[in-house]
Amino acid sequence: MSIEEKTEMPAVTVPINLKRLTRIGQRPDFLDYLVQLWDRRSFIFFDARARVQSGNEKNLLGSAWLVLTPVLSGLTFYLIFGLLLNTSRGIENFIGYLIIGVFTFQMSTRAIVAGAKSLTGNTAMIRAFQFPRASLPIAINVRELLSNVPVTIVMLLFVIFTAPAEEITWRWFLVLPAIFLQFMFNLGIGMLLAPLVLKIPDVGMLLSFLMRLWMYASAVFFSDHRFDNYPVIKTIMDFNPIYLVIKSIRNSVLYATSPSLRDWTVLALFAAVAVAAGLLVFWRGEESYGRV
Amino acid sequence: MDASRNPGIHLAEPTVVVDDISVVYRTKQQSGSRTTSRTSMLGALRKGKATSSPVRTTALKNVSFVANQGDSIGVIGRNGSGKSTLMKVLAGLIIPDAGTVYAASNPILLGVNAALISSISGAQNIRLGCLAMGMSHAQIDAKFNDIVEMSGLEDEIYHPMNSYSSGMGARLRFAIAAAVDPEILLVDEALNTGDAQFKERSKARMKQVTSQAGTVFIVSHSIETIVSTCNRAFWIDKGDFIMDGTPKEVAKQYKSFIWRINEGNADYGRKIRAELMASLPAMRTTLLPNGWKRSR
Repeated sequence: MSIEEKTEMPAVTVPINLKRLTRIGQRPDFLDYLVQLWDRRSFIFFDARARVQSGNEKNLLGSAWLVLTPVLSGLTFYLIFGLLLNTSRGIENFIGYLIIGVFTFQMSTRAIVAGAKSLTGNTAMIRAFQFPRASLPIAINVRELLSNVPVTIVMLLFVIFTAPAEEITWRWFLVLPAIFLQFMFNLGIGMLLAPLVLKIPDVGMLLSFLMRLWMYASAVFFSDHRFDNYPVIKTIMDFNPIYLVIKSIRNSVLYATSPSLRDWTVLALFAAVAVAAGLLVFWRGEESYGRV
Repeated sequence: MDASRNPGIHLAEPTVVVDDISVVYRTKQQSGSRTTSRTSMLGALRKGKATSSPVRTTALKNVSFVANQGDSIGVIGRNGSGKSTLMKVLAGLIIPDAGTVYAASNPILLGVNAALISSISGAQNIRLGCLAMGMSHAQIDAKFNDIVEMSGLEDEIYHPMNSYSSGMGARLRFAIAAAVDPEILLVDEALNTGDAQFKERSKARMKQVTSQAGTVFIVSHSIETIVSTCNRAFWIDKGDFIMDGTPKEVAKQYKSFIWRINEGNADYGRKIRAELMASLPAMRTTLLPNGWKRSR
């Protein structure tokens, strides 16, 4: 407990009763922070919903684009790879393989990039209200998850309706835990990056290149056997969580095989560690986000 | 209103104690001759680091004061004197580089710049703003009509906010922020944007806060507003806390200071400023142990 001293006279002494007065702007304990976040859950969901709705407002068709965008991009892939080029690159059901890869990876790209910019893009909100700032990256990731619902449905419809048709098995439900783990992982990475992008905005510029590199390491549009001769790349891919998500969805939807226990474990570990580290790092910087 | 309260002697319970805070902004300096020609830009590039060295601007310097229950405090000062920074520090939006702010409850800041999501309707923005301040859906439903009435918006409440005039936007934001029944209300220039009807409503709102033993801070360039609504005034200049007194006294000294500066007699103006600053009683705080510690 420090006592402030001033040399000038006359001095007035003000007693501070900490029972009545609290320090303003001080970051709460980590557990209190989590409780505060939980208390703001309706804010998080409302913010996410409002932004999903308003995201396409300037277009004539409005929210219909939430469905139209994945349908059109799926049709484009079908037109080029299924009808014009008719390649398979040695992959069984290449159209399904490609669409699952592209759609799933896009979910992570959008969520991670938006999460990383959650602090720089919401300065007005941050300066207007006092709330746990981690609500922002969480709201953005919930928004991406919500707008990913039509994308996932369209993706599965393409797998059903484009030749070769796949049989629907109980394994299709394994898509849900895979996407949930992907959501957790995206959230964690977004929370780790957001304070960094606020401090060094240049990181935001680099992010799109890093995401492209990441895409090449996720076997989105080529066979994962391509790197069989390069053990280093193969190992990196085996520990690439987004690739593991894509692989799990492909296995359960296209190849009617359950993803291995090892893949689930690695993926769950990545998701849990990313969220825990993200929350901790984000919480530690909480006091600095209001600065100009 | 107790207009004769002597600053420094505190009868009522304090709601805000500001203990020796300082705020320093760090910005990048851009080379001065950037716009002149291309060669100078190349020269600037060659010089390298020297052109983009960070500059430190002191926005607040060792500011201390105590605000009490029922106080309505006007803050005056020239542009860039640190008034808005002080409001942001009080609201907990900026953490001071040194010093501490203690408050009885979370102060709510009403600023003109606080924008919400402009592509959604005013009604949705009300809900969003209230949720951000920690209200529940049920509490918002109960207060929704009051907020709309306070904002003075009618059918426009269901139009997207980017179709609002700046005055309408400011009124809506005032209404949202006033909805939480804050014990400590910070108003930053918001009163200058509204029409006469809105000014009356917001004055009534501030009176209500002070009558419920709360505290209001108002930043305004209109000295008349401060003299007519406040019982106490602060004068801040270039980050220094110059004076704390009744609005009339402070307004008189401030006007005479500005007059001297404008007359060209700046030295005399600075002398007034220095004398007033020196006559401020120094403040020190002692922390009473809180109940949790005392009970052990």
